[in-house]
Amino acid sequence: MRMVMGLDRPDAGTVTIDGKRFGELRWPLREVGALLEAKALHPGRTAVDHLWALAQTNSIPKARIAEVLELVGLESVARRRVGKYSLGMSQRLGIASALLGDPGVLLFDEPVNGLDPEGILWVRTLLQGLAADGRTVFVSSHLMSEMALTATDLVVIGRGRLIAQTSVADFIDSNTEASVLVRSPDADGLADALCRAGAAVVAGDDGGLLVTGLDAARIGDLAFGAGVAVHELRQVQASLEEVFMEMTSDMVDYHGHTPAEVGS
Amino acid sequence: MTTVAVPGRVTLSDVSHGRAGFADQVRSEWTKLRSVRSTWICLVVVFLAGIGLSALVTNVEAGRWATLGFVDRAQFDPVRFSQTGEFLSQFVVGVLGALIVTSEYGTGSIRTTLSTTSHRTTVLLAKLTVLGAVVFVVSEVTAFASFFVGQLVLLWHGGKALPAGSSIIDQVHSATIPVVGITDGGALRAVFLSGVYLLLLTLLACGLGFILRHTAGAISAFVGILLVLPLIVQILPSSLSSSFERYLPSNLGLAMIFVTSRKTDFAGVLLAPWAAAGLLALYAAATVALAAFLLVRRDA
Repeated sequence: MRMVMGLDRPDAGTVTIDGKRFGELRWPLREVGALLEAKALHPGRTAVDHLWALAQTNSIPKARIAEVLELVGLESVARRRVGKYSLGMSQRLGIASALLGDPGVLLFDEPVNGLDPEGILWVRTLLQGLAADGRTVFVSSHLMSEMALTATDLVVIGRGRLIAQTSVADFIDSNTEASVLVRSPDADGLADALCRAGAAVVAGDDGGLLVTGLDAARIGDLAFGAGVAVHELRQVQASLEEVFMEMTSDMVDYHGHTPAEVGS
Repeated sequence: MTTVAVPGRVTLSDVSHGRAGFADQVRSEWTKLRSVRSTWICLVVVFLAGIGLSALVTNVEAGRWATLGFVDRAQFDPVRFSQTGEFLSQFVVGVLGALIVTSEYGTGSIRTTLSTTSHRTTVLLAKLTVLGAVVFVVSEVTAFASFFVGQLVLLWHGGKALPAGSSIIDQVHSATIPVVGITDGGALRAVFLSGVYLLLLTLLACGLGFILRHTAGAISAFVGILLVLPLIVQILPSSLSSSFERYLPSNLGLAMIFVTSRKTDFAGVLLAPWAAAGLLALYAAATVALAAFLLVRRDA
């Protein structure tokens, strides 16, 4: 993201926004807005002064400040020094700064950090609203569950290398084997029948069977044929987080351990 | 609560016309400068230190006139005494110059600032322009106010202006304390250059801020140049030190404000006032040039 904003120089290659390098933008703030670090503010300045100083760099009218402050819900504390702001409030101010120039391309680095549940929901709706507007919204996050809810396209990077670039749905589909959860009072009998049909069956802790290699319809037919009652039969979708963990397990820089592992 | 209306009531002009430029950046820097308290505290300190030290030092020197010998009377410089506050103010403007840059590096907001323009040097030039203008105005006002306060103190001690065309010998033999008018030879130049000295140091400190990017580092370097460098030069063999001394920034500052004492041997080691100002401007320009070079080259 810092390379996109012309802050860091890539070792090789170029980054362009709408076909232009950052250094070629005429009104940078109006073409690309970014929230990179929420706490990157002078603590002694008020939100209004902070936004006004930013607005002036790109000839953005003063009235726009009230508008973005209202959008992020900071009107009541706009004249307070930002040093007194919580992380969540700083995050909102950062979002206001990014939106100040009404740009077509937006970059957000971990936008929900420090926000309360209401704030997280708000950011989610906001980002989707901005995208629905026809803007490009580029979000980086470690919160997989959040990304699964918000994002449409996914770029997975591990150790500085591109691992995947695809839509969220495709990413999950192509990286998990479709499995089916089936529950039956005669679990052993059903497992038998399924194994004979060539499926791999794993017994779950709660008596359910996790079946891979057969789809739900075929499992239902086999159960009917074997005369086994079925209480639950559903397709299991892996979560984005599970898929992500699987893909990047051998690419993480730092591994945590449980206390037991540390002791042994 | 969670309504999302991406606002469009305020319409921004078409981005395909014009471009964000130097004037925009200058307006922004002025907003940033005036919206933090440290700016005003520093400027008030410059003004009060200027006038206060002028009154204090001039008062002490005036009280000693009657007991002074020939040499001391020859070096009695009412203009220089009135500009003593500069010794303190130089550190205050140095802090101000460094802070305007390093406070942004410290918080990380420099990255926000740099992402508002496609030319990084615009940011550097805008900062120098805005802070330079503010410091120059305050320094000149302070320098002239200090000058008049100093002369008032001398008058209050019974001082009198020497007749026009008086030499340094007349001053030594004068029964009364000499008082200087602003139009007397060299006074106007000295007071004006006193403000210029603070302006140039501010620009130098600003450059150091961009080069070192840490508040403590930049201020230490600045203080080192003014206070420690002279000590190092002094312990060099005297043949070396006497040839280097006159080029030290602190001695350039003295050279810029000397009037009466220039006519004595004491000032013989110093450069001429305008030459000193020129050399100090060269130091500041070199520092700023290095700062601009590094700003463009380094990752922010």
